[in-house]
Amino acid sequence: MSTQADNLSPDLIWQVVRKNNAYLVKRAQSGGIQFSRDPLNLLNKHSRKYAGFVNPKAIGIQADDNTVSMTTKNASHTNHPAKQHHNASFSSTTPSRKLYRSVVNSTAKKGYRSDLRAEAVARASAIKYSQKEKKERAGAKPRGVKARKAEESS
Amino acid sequence: MSRPTVTIHGADGAAGSESHPLPNVFKAPIRPDIVQAVHTGMAKNKRQPYAVSEKAGHQTSAESWGTGRAVARIPRVSGGGTHRAGQAAFGNMCRSGRMFAPTKVWRKWQQKVNLGQKRFATASAIAASSSAALLLARGHHVNTIPEVPLVVSSTAFADGAIKKTSQAVKILEAVGAGPELEKVKNSRKLRAGKGKLRNRRHQQRRGPLVVYEPEKDGKDFTKAFRNIPGVETCTVYALNLLQLAPGGHLGRFVIWTSSAFQALDTIYGSTTTPSELKRDFLLPSNVMAQPDLAALINSSEVQSVLRPVKGGAITKRSVVQKKNPLKNKQVLLRLNPYAAAYAKEGLGHVKAEGDKPEKGEGYTKLLHEN
Repeated sequence: MSTQADNLSPDLIWQVVRKNNAYLVKRAQSGGIQFSRDPLNLLNKHSRKYAGFVNPKAIGIQADDNTVSMTTKNASHTNHPAKQHHNASFSSTTPSRKLYRSVVNSTAKKGYRSDLRAEAVARASAIKYSQKEKKERAGAKPRGVKARKAEESS
Repeated sequence: MSRPTVTIHGADGAAGSESHPLPNVFKAPIRPDIVQAVHTGMAKNKRQPYAVSEKAGHQTSAESWGTGRAVARIPRVSGGGTHRAGQAAFGNMCRSGRMFAPTKVWRKWQQKVNLGQKRFATASAIAASSSAALLLARGHHVNTIPEVPLVVSSTAFADGAIKKTSQAVKILEAVGAGPELEKVKNSRKLRAGKGKLRNRRHQQRRGPLVVYEPEKDGKDFTKAFRNIPGVETCTVYALNLLQLAPGGHLGRFVIWTSSAFQALDTIYGSTTTPSELKRDFLLPSNVMAQPDLAALINSSEVQSVLRPVKGGAITKRSVVQKKNPLKNKQVLLRLNPYAAAYAKEGLGHVKAEGDKPEKGEGYTKLLHEN
C-alpha cells in the first residue's frame, strides 16, 4: 500500500468514488442495483472489496477472444500506471482444472488477495464455459402418424 | 520522512535521469465536499443574464368586466369583431398571458466564493490529480502513462520546440496519453436538447490538462495544443478549479512541464511556510495523519491495547439454524444417546416374537359388541 503522500489511501479513495465513478453502472430497477465495469472486478459488483481500481492489489479475469487472460496489480507501482498491471494469458487449449490451478497458484496461494480465491476460480470457470462450443440438440424423433408417413416416404 | 520524488520524463516519454521532490501541494487534504461546493459557486460566475420580454403577455388593453356578468373577474380583452375580444388576458393561467413571476435580468447570477475556500479547493484538486485511482474513476484512460503526477521536461516545450499540432500530438502520444486522446475523439456526440441551438452543439469528454510555466516554457506552444480535442492548457500561476475538477469531480489528468512542477512549491508554499505569491496562504493540513484505515487497525499501537479474542477458535455459536433430529444423526444422538445402541442392535426392525393371537369366536363377538 505505498501511497506516495500521507493524504491518500485506498480507504479514502473509496469514500471519494463510491457514490459516482466512471465504472459504476446504476439502474433504477431492482432496487437501484449497482454494477461495476471495472476490468479488475471479479464479480462486476460495486463494492469496496471488489473495486479493482481502488485496491492496490486486485485480480481481473477477462475473456480474450478465445482465451482467458488474467491481470493482477503490482502494489508497489500504484503511481506508475504503465507498470502497474501484470498480464497472463491462458490458451484456449488449457484444461479447465489446470487453468483454475494456475489462477490460484499465482494469486491466492502466494498470499495475494486470498480472499478472492473462489471468485477468481468461479469467473475463470464461467468464461471457460462461455467459450465452449455448444452441442447441437438432436431433433425430435417423429412419432405416431408423422413416423408412419416418414417411413412410407423413405 | 524524506519527500517522495517524481521522475521527469523526456519528450520521447522515457524516464529521464532527473527527478524532482513532490511539491507540498500534493499532500493537501482530498476534500470532495469542499471541491464540489466551490465548483458549484464558481461555475455560476460565467452565466449570462436571460429574461423574458418585459412586455410579454401584457400587449393588450384588457380590463376586468367586474362582478355581475357571471364570468370570472380576470381581465378580458376589450372590443369586438374578433374571437380575441372577451377572452381572458394577463394571468399566468391564461392563453397568451404572461408567465408566472416573469424572469428578470437582475436575478443574482454570480456567486461570491471565499478566496480561502477557492485556494483550499484548488490545492485539494491538485493533490487528487496525483492518484491514478482517482484519474481512472474520473474516466481518464491513463493505464499507459508512466507515472502520476506526469511531469515532462520543459526542454520539450521551451524555445518554440513545439510549433505544430502534429508535434504536440506526437509528444502527448509519447508520454502515453494516446488512448486518452482517442477516447476524447470518439466521445464527440450531438448534444441532447435545445443547447444545440445555443452554440453548445456537441458534447465531448475532457482530455489532459497541460500545465506550463509561461516565463520558462513560453506561451507559443499553447497554439500547437489548442486544436487537439479535449486538451487544455493552463499556466501554473492561474490554475482553475473548473479545469482541475470538471463537474466538481476530483482527478483530472494533468501533464506538468518540469518548470511548472518546480514552481508549485513557490506558488503554494507548505503547511508551515507561507506561499510567496498568495498573500496569507498556508497549505491546509490533513486532519488525520494516517488515512489508511487498514494500517491503522493493524498497527501495533492499536493491536497492543485490544483485549484478546474471547473463546478463540471454538466460540459457542449462539444463534444457529435448528437442525431436524429425525434427519440429522448427530443432533439425534445429542438428544437421545440410546439411539446409537438402538440402531446398532437393529431394534427398529426386529420381528415380533411369537405368532399373532388366534382369531377365535370370541374375537368377532367382541368386535361387534356394542
